[in-house]
Amino acid sequence: MSENLKRVMVIGGGIAGIQASLDLAERGIVVELIEKNACIGGRMAQLDKTFPTNDCSICILAPKLAECSRHPNITLHTLSEIKNLSGQPGNFNVKIFKKARYVKEDECINCGVCIEKCPMRVDDEFDMKLRKRRAIYIDYVQGVPSIMTIDRENCLFFTKDACRICEKVCEREAIDFDQKDEEFELNVGSIIVAIGYDIFEPTSLVSLGYGRYLNVVTALEFERLTCASGPLGGHLKRPSDKNEPKKLAFINCVGSRDIKNNPYCSSCCCMYTTKEAMIAYEHDNEIETSIFYIDLRAAGKGFREYIQRGENDYAITYIKGKVAKILEDDQKNPLILYEDINTSQVKQLKYDLVVLATTMVPKKDAGELAKILGIKIDDYNFFKANSYHPQKSSKEGIFLCGACREPMDIPTSVIDASGAAAKAAEIVMRG
Amino acid sequence: MSYSYFLGCVIPGRLPFLEISARKTFEEIGMKVGDQAKCSCCPDPTGAAQLDHETFLALGARNLCLFEESNSHILSLCSGCTESLKTVKHILDNDDEKKKEINSKLKIIGKNYKGNIKIKHFAEVLYENIEKIKEKVKKPLKDLKVAGHPGCHYLRPSEIINWDDPLNPKTLDELIEAIGADPIEYDMKNDCCGNPVEKTDKEISLSMLESKLKSMKEAGADCIACVCPACYQQFDFNQREINKNKNTDYNFPVFYITELIALALEIDTEELGLNFHRIKVNDVLQKIN
Amino acid sequence: MQMVDFEFRNDLIKENFSLNYCYQCGTCSSSCPVAFITNGEFNPRKIIEQSLLGLKDLLIKDQNPNVWLCCTCHMCVEECPQNVFLTEIFERIKNKIVLLGEPYPKTFKMQAKSIVENGLAIPLSQPIIRRRNQLGLPNIESVNINELTKLLEATNFEKKVNLLEESK
Repeated sequence: MSENLKRVMVIGGGIAGIQASLDLAERGIVVELIEKNACIGGRMAQLDKTFPTNDCSICILAPKLAECSRHPNITLHTLSEIKNLSGQPGNFNVKIFKKARYVKEDECINCGVCIEKCPMRVDDEFDMKLRKRRAIYIDYVQGVPSIMTIDRENCLFFTKDACRICEKVCEREAIDFDQKDEEFELNVGSIIVAIGYDIFEPTSLVSLGYGRYLNVVTALEFERLTCASGPLGGHLKRPSDKNEPKKLAFINCVGSRDIKNNPYCSSCCCMYTTKEAMIAYEHDNEIETSIFYIDLRAAGKGFREYIQRGENDYAITYIKGKVAKILEDDQKNPLILYEDINTSQVKQLKYDLVVLATTMVPKKDAGELAKILGIKIDDYNFFKANSYHPQKSSKEGIFLCGACREPMDIPTSVIDASGAAAKAAEIVMRG
Repeated sequence: MSYSYFLGCVIPGRLPFLEISARKTFEEIGMKVGDQAKCSCCPDPTGAAQLDHETFLALGARNLCLFEESNSHILSLCSGCTESLKTVKHILDNDDEKKKEINSKLKIIGKNYKGNIKIKHFAEVLYENIEKIKEKVKKPLKDLKVAGHPGCHYLRPSEIINWDDPLNPKTLDELIEAIGADPIEYDMKNDCCGNPVEKTDKEISLSMLESKLKSMKEAGADCIACVCPACYQQFDFNQREINKNKNTDYNFPVFYITELIALALEIDTEELGLNFHRIKVNDVLQKIN
Repeated sequence: MQMVDFEFRNDLIKENFSLNYCYQCGTCSSSCPVAFITNGEFNPRKIIEQSLLGLKDLLIKDQNPNVWLCCTCHMCVEECPQNVFLTEIFERIKNKIVLLGEPYPKTFKMQAKSIVENGLAIPLSQPIIRRRNQLGLPNIESVNINELTKLLEATNFEKKVNLLEESK
C-alpha cells in the first residue's frame, strides 16, 4: 500500500511544474503531471529569450520537456483538469476530467499534413492571437507530447457534421472522432500546484490606447513578434504597416503598483523589457529604445550589470517617468506624453512601436481550483502561501510553486519548484 | 421628492437662453421641475471656492439647506455647480466634525444642514429618461456629426461625481445617438476645454481649446455638444480669438445638449434663443432640415 | 537654499492624508494638459514633491510651480496609481497662499469681491434681467445679501482673502 502512495500529483506543466516533476521522478517518486492544454511548456515556451543570459527560451526548455515525456516515473496527462479532491495528506483521491483528443496518441507522428488541409481558421492563443491556427493543431511546433489535437468547438465535423478531411489525409489513420471525454481517479500522497499566470489585459487602461492603436502591443505579444517560430518568423515588423520599427518604447508598470488595478509589483518587467530591447537591437542595430520606468527593480545576481549593459551596448535610454497617455499621429505612430523626472520636462515623443509591460496576474480559474482543492487564495487571487514556508499552501499535503503563488521570473520559479518538490517528497517518503 | 433647478451664476448672468431648451425639454418628458429662490454662487469650484475651504463648505451647505427646506432634490444646469455641491455633500456627510463646524456657522443664519437631498446633473436626469426621449423624437438629426464634449466636472473626480466612466465616458454620446445624430470619436474627447485656467493665463487656456478644436476638425465634426456653461462659453466665444492669433478658420456651432434634444423633439424650435449664440448655427439648422 | 518646514508639511498631510501615498512616479504630469503645454513648468508631480519635502517658500512665496495654473480637470487624480488626491492638495496650498497674505491672481479676488457684494460670481445686470423677461424666463428671487454677509462674517471670508484693505 505504501508503494502505491509514493506518488505525487503536479498540477500545471509550465517550467515550475516540469522542474518539480523532474526532481521528484529522479528520486524514484512517481509523478502524475496534469496539464490543461494539449502540450506542456507553459509561458516559457512562448518567450523568445530569457534574461539574464539571453539564451533561447525553447532551447533550454525543450530538453526538460523531452525528459518529462520519456521519464519512466512521469505520466503526462494533457487536456486534463482537476474535478474533485478527497482524502488526506498521504492518501489523496483526485478525480480528473480529460478532454478527448480525437487523435490516437499511439499513431500520430506529428507529420503536419492534417494541419495543411484543415479549412478552419481559429485565433491562435499561443501566438497571442497574432495569427490563426487550424481546428486540428499542436500548441507550438516543439510541443510535447508531439501529438495533434482537434479543437471540437471549432471543428466543422463537430459543429456542422461536415468535412473530415484530416481523417482522409492521415496516413496513419490516427484521427478518431469517436473518442470520448474521460473521468478517472488517481491516488496520490501529496500535490503540487504550479498553474502559472495570465497577463493583465490593458484594454481597460483607456488612456494608453491598447486595442485602439495598432502599434501599441503587450510584452508577450512582442515576444511572439520577435520569436523565430512566431507569426513574423523573427523579423520584427510593426502591426499597422509591416514597416521595420526603428524607435521602440517600453513602458513598465502597466497596471502594476496601481491601487486601481493591481497594487503589487510584477517583479520581472524591469528585467524583461531590457531583455526585449536587447533582442530587438540584435535583430537590427539601428533600433533605439526608450524604457520608461518608476524604479528600476533589478535585484537579482547580475541583474544590475544587465541593465548597465543595456544602456552601454544596446542603445537603450532609461527614462524615469511613468507614462499615462499615448496618442497617435496620422501615420499611426504612437505619441507618448511623459515627464522626464530627471529634468522635470513634460514632452511628447513619437515612436514607431510601443510595448506595454503588463502585470502578471493569477489564472482566471485559480479561484475555482482553490475551492476544489480546499486551499486559500489571497486578496489578489494568488494562492495563499504559508507565512513560515512559502511553498506550503494553507492545506497540509498541498504545495505551491511558481507564478501561481506570486509573480516571479524563471530562475526563481525553478528554485521554487525544487523547494516544493522536496516538501512534497517528504510526505510520500514517510513510512 | 421632486426636483428644482440650480441655475448657477453663468447661465442667468450671461447665457440665459441656455435655460430655455432645458426647461422645455424637461417639461416635454413629463418632469415638473421647480425653481429655488435665494441661491447664491455654488461657489465656483474653479474660482472663489479655492480661496478658503471653510467658506466653500458654508456657502455650499447654505445652498443645500435651501433645497432641503423646500423638500426638493437639486437638478443642476451646470457641471461646475454640480461638482461643488456634490463635493460639499460628500465632505459633510462623511465627516461629522466638519458637519458640526459648518452647522455652527449656519446656525447664525437660522439654517441646519441635514444631508437628505440628492444632487443631479441635468444630463444625468436626461440619461435616466433616455427611452422617453427616444420615443418623442420627431425629427432625428440624421447625418449630423456631433463632437460630444463631456467636460471635466461632469465626470471627475469620480469618487465624488459617481456617474459616468471618468476616463471613457459614454452617457453624452448615447444621448446624442438617441436623437439620431452621430456622436463622432475624436482623440481629444476627454480633454479639458481650458476655461478654468483662463483666470490665471489666457494663452494656456486658448492652447487647450485649440488642441480640442484641431482634433474635432480632423474627425469631421459639424458641431459641438456640451453640458456645462463654462465649456459653452469657451467654445462659443473663443474660436474667434484663436482664428485671430493663429490664422485658422474654426467655426463650429456650439450647442447645449438640451438644445439639440429640443430640435429633435421639435419643441418650439423658433423660441430656443439660438440666435443668441455667437457662432451662427444656420449651417446646422439647414443640415437637419 | 530651501529650508524644510516640517510644520507646513505635517499640516498639509493632516488636511489631506493621501499626500503621504505619493511615490513620485510622474503619472500625474504625464496626464496633465497644462504640464504638457508649459513643457513641465507647471508640474503636478513637482508640487507634490515640494509638499512632501515641506518646501514652503517655493510653494507659497515663489509659487514655483504656480499652483494657480491647475485647470482642475482632475485627470491626475483619476490616473494616480496611489489615489493621491492632487487637486484637493493644490486647493489646500492655495488656501494657505491666500491666508498668509501672499499675492494671488486678481481674477480670483474679483470673483470673491462679487460674491461678497452680490452673493453671485456674475451679478445680474439690468440688460440681462430685461433679456430674461423677453425670453419668457421666470423671475427668481436673488440671494438675501444680509443673510449672506452674516455667513461670510462667520467664516471671516473678507479678512482671509484680503479684501478689506481694498475697500479702505
